[in-house]
Amino acid sequence: MRHRVRWIALSAAVIVAALAVVLALQVGDDPRADASRSQLTGTIAPSFDLPTLDGTSVRSADLRGKVVLVNFWNSWCAPCQEEHPALVEFFERHADEPGFAMVGIVRHDTREAIRSFVDEEGVPYTVAFDPGSRAAFDYGTRGQPETYALAPDGVIEASKIGPSSLGQLEQMYRVAKGSA
Amino acid sequence: MSARAWACAGLVVVVAIVLTIVLWPRSATPSTSARVESIASELRCPDCESQSIAQSSTPTARAARADIRRRIEAGQSDADIRQAYIDKFGESILWKPESGGIGILVWGLPVAALILGGAGLAFALARWRREPRLHATDADERLVEQQRAAE
Repeated sequence: MRHRVRWIALSAAVIVAALAVVLALQVGDDPRADASRSQLTGTIAPSFDLPTLDGTSVRSADLRGKVVLVNFWNSWCAPCQEEHPALVEFFERHADEPGFAMVGIVRHDTREAIRSFVDEEGVPYTVAFDPGSRAAFDYGTRGQPETYALAPDGVIEASKIGPSSLGQLEQMYRVAKGSA
Repeated sequence: MSARAWACAGLVVVVAIVLTIVLWPRSATPSTSARVESIASELRCPDCESQSIAQSSTPTARAARADIRRRIEAGQSDADIRQAYIDKFGESILWKPESGGIGILVWGLPVAALILGGAGLAFALARWRREPRLHATDADERLVEQQRAAE
């Protein structure tokens, strides 16, 4: 009788251990387990045609052939404010490169608030609005800031959910540029 | 008519009503709005807490509802639409985990735990029933013998 109890307990332990191993292997292999990257990394970036703060428009199709950094942001999010100096410095380092473009897409904010932020803090790259949040949705954003580095062929080569440091921005840029 | 016959007749009527309700063909295919609502209620709002896309009023949730409608109108099935959202946002977009792949563990583990626990409990109960909990010691036996002898 005692042996039978031991065998049952041992069998239960083996089953639980096997399930734990399967779970660990599956989670470890799943690229989606990395919550700091977008699910869309490695796929063709969604297209957009958005009005800009300066009254023109920016179309993703016109940016093909360039490495493009797309940053979703707004004026009221603290992590966006934290990230802002790194974005500005990154842009100023690469602004003169002909194969580079950078777009800050406003996510859930008003034109007035953005205008005020730009006047006070300075945003030297293109600022675009996203009426209906279509671009934010198409990129699968869950919040802001989120940054996407697009290769010249339009593939999202790198992404960062949450604020990026200057080093991380440079790394994403290198990855997107290197894939050309 | 006897009481038993009345009871049988009543039972037949109840069964017939239940079967009619269960097996009655559903009215035509659900409308686009109903499908939007149904699918949206199965998906988490990407940028808010504890709300589905159907419940939330954030711009992203509104964009998602519009996207679901476009996909339905383009002829995509509910499963296609759910998969598109998993591809875009990951499986965490689903309120309920999938019943295949890794998701089977989420469904299977509680069931396995319940079965194992129930089996263990049944085994223990059967064992307790077979084995008396109290055993008379030699001293107990002697005491009983002494008592009987005294009577």
